[in-house]
Amino acid sequence: MNASAQKLAFASISTVAESVRRKELSPVELVRASLDRIEAFDLKLNSFYTLFRDDVLAAARDAEAEIARGHYRGPLHGIPIGIKDIYECGPTTCGSKSLKDYVAAEDCMAVHKLKQAGALIVGKNATYEFAYGFPTTKSYFKPARNPWNLAYDAGGSSSGSGSSVSAGLVYASMGSCTGGSIRWPAQCCGIVGLKATYGRVSRAGVYPLAWSLDHTGPLARTVKDAALMLQGCAGYDPADPASANVPVPDFTARLGQPIKAMRIGLMRSVYEDNCDPKILGPFNVALGEFEKLGARIVDVPSITLTQMQAIEWPALFAETAAIHIDNVRHHGADYNPHAKLFVAYGLLISGACYLMAQRARAQVRDQLLEALARDVDVLILPTVGFPVSPVLDDSPGLSIVAEDFSVYTAIFNFTGFPAIQVPCGFDPDGLPVGLQIAGRPFDEATICQVAHAYEQATPWHDKHPSL
Amino acid sequence: MAVKDTIVARLAEWGLVLNKNEIEQLVPAYENLLRWQSVLESMMQSKKLVEGMTAPGSEPILIHAIERKGGAR
Repeated sequence: MNASAQKLAFASISTVAESVRRKELSPVELVRASLDRIEAFDLKLNSFYTLFRDDVLAAARDAEAEIARGHYRGPLHGIPIGIKDIYECGPTTCGSKSLKDYVAAEDCMAVHKLKQAGALIVGKNATYEFAYGFPTTKSYFKPARNPWNLAYDAGGSSSGSGSSVSAGLVYASMGSCTGGSIRWPAQCCGIVGLKATYGRVSRAGVYPLAWSLDHTGPLARTVKDAALMLQGCAGYDPADPASANVPVPDFTARLGQPIKAMRIGLMRSVYEDNCDPKILGPFNVALGEFEKLGARIVDVPSITLTQMQAIEWPALFAETAAIHIDNVRHHGADYNPHAKLFVAYGLLISGACYLMAQRARAQVRDQLLEALARDVDVLILPTVGFPVSPVLDDSPGLSIVAEDFSVYTAIFNFTGFPAIQVPCGFDPDGLPVGLQIAGRPFDEATICQVAHAYEQATPWHDKHPSL
Repeated sequence: MAVKDTIVARLAEWGLVLNKNEIEQLVPAYENLLRWQSVLESMMQSKKLVEGMTAPGSEPILIHAIERKGGAR
């Protein structure tokens, strides 16, 4: 791979889009370059299950012709992207042997909107099974690898999305997030993950994991790219009962604006007694960087990790069980062993426990909304509290519900607040570390502003894995 | 009833039969669940009515009811 191909592969969407708009760069060239890199590297990464080689080249030729005629649709026009394989769009396996032959009859709304914006769908990205079942080397669908170290997992569940974007195979990919499945793989792979407000992006046609917690959103290499992707897929969709009928603002509008005097709420109680020092070190340095930018770090009373888990997991697994029980009865043998166990676990959760989790969830949401209305502009946390894990050879069982599974992302799933992960350094093993910034519902522009200010002041977004 | 028996009985209500190894894995997770139930109980906001009697101080979140309280800037 020569230097100019490498540069093109890791360029930002906004940079490449400008060249496409000026007709200096053809979407066909971009797609060919993307397919070349996938051919060169994806046997190692396993980040794609399906490639739409012929279709995407045809779409690229159409885009080229359309732009030549002076009909430029915007910054996603002619840009190659990936889609997590739980979105209905051609073959849609959900990472499960039980759906290995399923082909969607039509595109889901998010994909439809992205295509309308001119994005070119290169293929379907690897996922944890049904967005929760950790794949192992023994699974039917093998795990996506981490481009920073192939012996390590890419995080999940949007694992192929994280891996392929980090490796420069595509410019962005759509993921989904129920407890952290956009931000966690983004952290593991050293990129940006943007989970928009609950209801901001349609989930219609995206295989559900837990209705009340499911979100969709992009993974990209820069904050601006993530904002541009969100622009392309956000909007009301009556086919999604959770879809919010609210205006879609310009998510890039505040990028580049200073964050001086902004108040950043630090939720210490969630992480301070359980976060691995390998994560805590870079995170604390990042807090200092925000202060250098003129922001104020303000302590915000919050909940503990145990309380967070007590709310998230019963709600998530009860809903998961309600979704999967009949499938497990018929196709249980085709599920990864622990994916089946998760469903069984969900069946053990009582109705009263589920409702208590939903009550506690409402309380926490209201407390944080008060803090965001009165005391702070955004909230900040490490993304997760443990380093990137090696690829698994055996089922992890129900380790996800163990006390030390410190995914701090979940709090913004059950509150529904928008949250964005940005890289903030590397651990001593050379694997990425990240932080997340969350904000008021439907105020993605502000979290993007804060994340962008940090990104531009630090070198992390310019670091790319060498394969 | 032992935890294992409880788990087996509850799953049987749903027509789900797991092997011995799978049930073993569910035991510590189920114990965690019981712990979380007590954590949740301790988090519940309530209004005291008379001695030993309370009314709920919060309602379960509605799945499709996210509010714009706090407002966009």
